[in-house]
Amino acid sequence: MTALRYSYYPGCSLHASASEYDLSTREVFASLGIGLEEIPDWICCGATPAHNVDELLSLSLSAKNLELAEQVPGDMAVACASCFSRLKFAQHILAENETKRKLVEKAIDAPVHLERRVKHLLEILVRDYGLEQLATAVKKPLSDLTVACYYGCLLTRPTDVPNLDCTEAPTIMEQVMEAVGAQTVAWTHRLECCGANFTLSRPPVVQQLSNGVLESAKTAGADCIVVACPLCHGNLDIRQKEIEGVYETSYGLPIFYLTQLVGLALGVPQERLGLDALIVSPQRLLRDKKIN
Amino acid sequence: MKKKKMLLSQETMDIDMVRKVEALSGTSVRRCFQCGKCSAGCPMATFMDHPPNRIVRLLQLGQWQRILAGRSIWYCVSCETCSTRCPNQVHLASIMDALRKLSWDQDGPSKESYVQLANRLFLENIRTYGRQYEMRLAAVFNVKSGQFLKDMLLGPKLLSKGKLKVFHQKNKNMAEVEKIFSRIEEMRRKGEAL
Repeated sequence: MTALRYSYYPGCSLHASASEYDLSTREVFASLGIGLEEIPDWICCGATPAHNVDELLSLSLSAKNLELAEQVPGDMAVACASCFSRLKFAQHILAENETKRKLVEKAIDAPVHLERRVKHLLEILVRDYGLEQLATAVKKPLSDLTVACYYGCLLTRPTDVPNLDCTEAPTIMEQVMEAVGAQTVAWTHRLECCGANFTLSRPPVVQQLSNGVLESAKTAGADCIVVACPLCHGNLDIRQKEIEGVYETSYGLPIFYLTQLVGLALGVPQERLGLDALIVSPQRLLRDKKIN
Repeated sequence: MKKKKMLLSQETMDIDMVRKVEALSGTSVRRCFQCGKCSAGCPMATFMDHPPNRIVRLLQLGQWQRILAGRSIWYCVSCETCSTRCPNQVHLASIMDALRKLSWDQDGPSKESYVQLANRLFLENIRTYGRQYEMRLAAVFNVKSGQFLKDMLLGPKLLSKGKLKVFHQKNKNMAEVEKIFSRIEEMRRKGEAL
């Protein structure tokens, strides 16, 4: 097998509030011998705010990023669910709507590049690297750990855009977690919204929706939740304590990025996976489950 | 919204605007047969005055003023559940985007100002820095929305965990980023783009 290599689009959150996702992604890829080269000068994808009020701007920002990606060889690897969704949306809309494509080409003053394959980390691990090989690379299986895999909105929806997995019953995250030895639970809220970017403008909405997610995972018997999106992470981890206060309950559920758990199973020391950046400390859980 | 009754008449019907919504969203409101699946699955429907399926019904009847007078479009969280489950390929999440754009163009930031303010600051950050500057986004939002103490207890905690970067470097390609924004503004001035 020739060595896998990717052009890497981390996105804004991974350079700030989700730096542990960036750190652990790089560690996992290095540990598996997968090449990862950051796209120089990538710009913000515009996320939800841009398409919410200005679709042309949103499409143009993604088209610009696809153009910038031409500097680095390899399929594009994306960690953030929102960046992933915006890039896939742009490719989808620009391929089928000629009017919009022409407007975007005028806005970025360049032809749009639609050929590059944009891949989420999950599909790189499952389809490119392979589950069997991943299982072989595991040094410390997470055998005692029961995880709730949380997809949220943008990894799988809508049907014809991200094409990551089945829209209503995805299993790709469970496949990765099981390959590294963890147990996964069936639960009701794995595809429900956490409140996303309303965290800035309407925190009470986020508290209500995220409370549903935390409650469902806890009821299903999970020790922790695993996510692949910085916004989901922020809402479930950073706001967990205030949610417990508002709803007079206690969850104490550590929220991991998927690469942090994969990294632990691959034997990467936990200080290199940014576990100390988590607000809900996972230390007691990791001790109890004899991980690391 | 005032409790004023809005009757269906030529006066309140505006099909041109509905055509704009269809052009912007790339989806046809006429395909909807009101099954209500969008509203059943919507996590935000309980916060809305018009549930998602009624938004489409109002569009079918040309009553977009009534939609803009309400708050539903500012409570949509873009989770894409409606677009995913529609049996007739009505992309309601894209229709919501189009309605927010038209509302923004027509009324500016007057309505539901917190969401609009958050959106505007987010886009300003891209134009100024090339990437998001989360610390500035949160700080300026609190100052401009007059909620100085909002999430104040979170700030120091996030700083100590390295989750908020106090300093932020601008991209090297800022001239190219600025050109994208200004070209779009120019296209709109010339009437080449909606």
